[in-house]
Amino acid sequence: MNADKPLVPQGPELLDPASTRLVVVSLVLAYLANLLPWPDGIHWLVPDFSLMVLLYWCIHAPHRANLSLAMALGLLADATVGGLMGQHALTYTLAAYAALSLRRRLANFHLSGRALHLLPIFFGQQLLNLLLGLAFHLPDVDWRYLVAGVAAGLFWIPIAHLLDGLTGWTNKMHIEPADNRASARAQIKSQNGARGSK
Amino acid sequence: MANAPMFARAMGLTTRLALYCLVSLALMVVDSRFDALTTLKRASTGVIYPVQGFLAKPFDFLSEAANFFTVHGKIMRDNRRLILDSQIYAMRLQGYDALKRENAQLRKLLNLPYPAGTRPLAAEIVRIQPDPFDRRVIVNKGEADGVEAGRPVVDATGLVGQVTRVYADSSEVSLLTSKEQAAPVQDQRNGLRLIVSGTGSGDQLEVRYVDMHVDVKPGDILVTSGIDAVYPLGIPVARVLQVDPPHQTPFARVVCAPIGEIGQHRHVLILNRANPSQPSGAHK
Repeated sequence: MNADKPLVPQGPELLDPASTRLVVVSLVLAYLANLLPWPDGIHWLVPDFSLMVLLYWCIHAPHRANLSLAMALGLLADATVGGLMGQHALTYTLAAYAALSLRRRLANFHLSGRALHLLPIFFGQQLLNLLLGLAFHLPDVDWRYLVAGVAAGLFWIPIAHLLDGLTGWTNKMHIEPADNRASARAQIKSQNGARGSK
Repeated sequence: MANAPMFARAMGLTTRLALYCLVSLALMVVDSRFDALTTLKRASTGVIYPVQGFLAKPFDFLSEAANFFTVHGKIMRDNRRLILDSQIYAMRLQGYDALKRENAQLRKLLNLPYPAGTRPLAAEIVRIQPDPFDRRVIVNKGEADGVEAGRPVVDATGLVGQVTRVYADSSEVSLLTSKEQAAPVQDQRNGLRLIVSGTGSGDQLEVRYVDMHVDVKPGDILVTSGIDAVYPLGIPVARVLQVDPPHQTPFARVVCAPIGEIGQHRHVLILNRANPSQPSGAHK
């Protein structure tokens, strides 16, 4: 046993653990969103919904969304596209690793701040995807697909907002400015005082 | 504390990452070097394709409902045009039987084998693969309809591509404009044999490595030469747009536009091998 291993999950997920059902349902819906018949001309613009939801859960429910889940979803994506097996598996795993490493830091940011951190991850995932295709001699690389990475960063905001609402996750770890904290303390004190006088 | 794991698990995050990366890379190598995972892909497509069809249903219904109100006038117009067309074709066909007999006799004289008989099979494009690496579409005819990998796919105007992968009741067509595709062709004007290949762009084909003095002019029509026994003779493939003189290479490059309306229609014809028991051209 590792001595400094925490016994229970720590941070916001301890306050509001996401239910397994919500994680599974959201991932299935995201996968189905990928399968929707998007118009032919804009395939390169459509973000990868599976990855967006996966990274959300990597940040907010790391005890459920881990690298194994990322690998499994990546293999599923590979099987769906019918391209090179293992390509999405690798990029999903790396993206999930990046999100998991940034998790502690991200918990302190508001929605747009988190999205801004994830944008390079989405973009990098798409870039690596295309580079892997080049490396394994797939016939032709359409660089327009890089736009999908940026689109994923933008569309992550409404999706994360929705999921935040569903889990009830709020930025509890956010450090409030000093005067706010003082007023909050005063409020607690007055409540305690009221309880004491009863 | 810096190295402390974030949560209780047997293996560190980085170790896991390294392990999964290795597995993924191994999969990619196996998939690209050896054809080992094709069965797996076929099986997964068998599961995913119906789901996709189901998801597309409401959208198809919506677009059909939207079409309903405009389609009547269009049908009337089309009908009028088709009646005219059929009259024109009937006129043109009058000489066809005689030409066919004459052609058969000439072939016999030349002692040439018949070109491989083909049986056209109409198929509908059901999905465009969102793949940044390749231009592929999925059509709704597969193994059950006798489609084989490698068969040519045409539309009313010309060559569209080739069947590259066959699933149970769908198959994957690589478009002619895909960078990997090539077709042996012949210049209709002078019979010159060339190989035309895709460029990866939707509306451009090219003939690479041609002699700098080659007799190809803009406006020439390239048709399949039938030499490779894959594409039957005489399907229109491309119209020559321009001939680029050699530039830093000893070869010229011919730029052409595909004649088949690639990516514009929902229906294509797969030219299946005709049943060997039926002699080709037996239909009336």
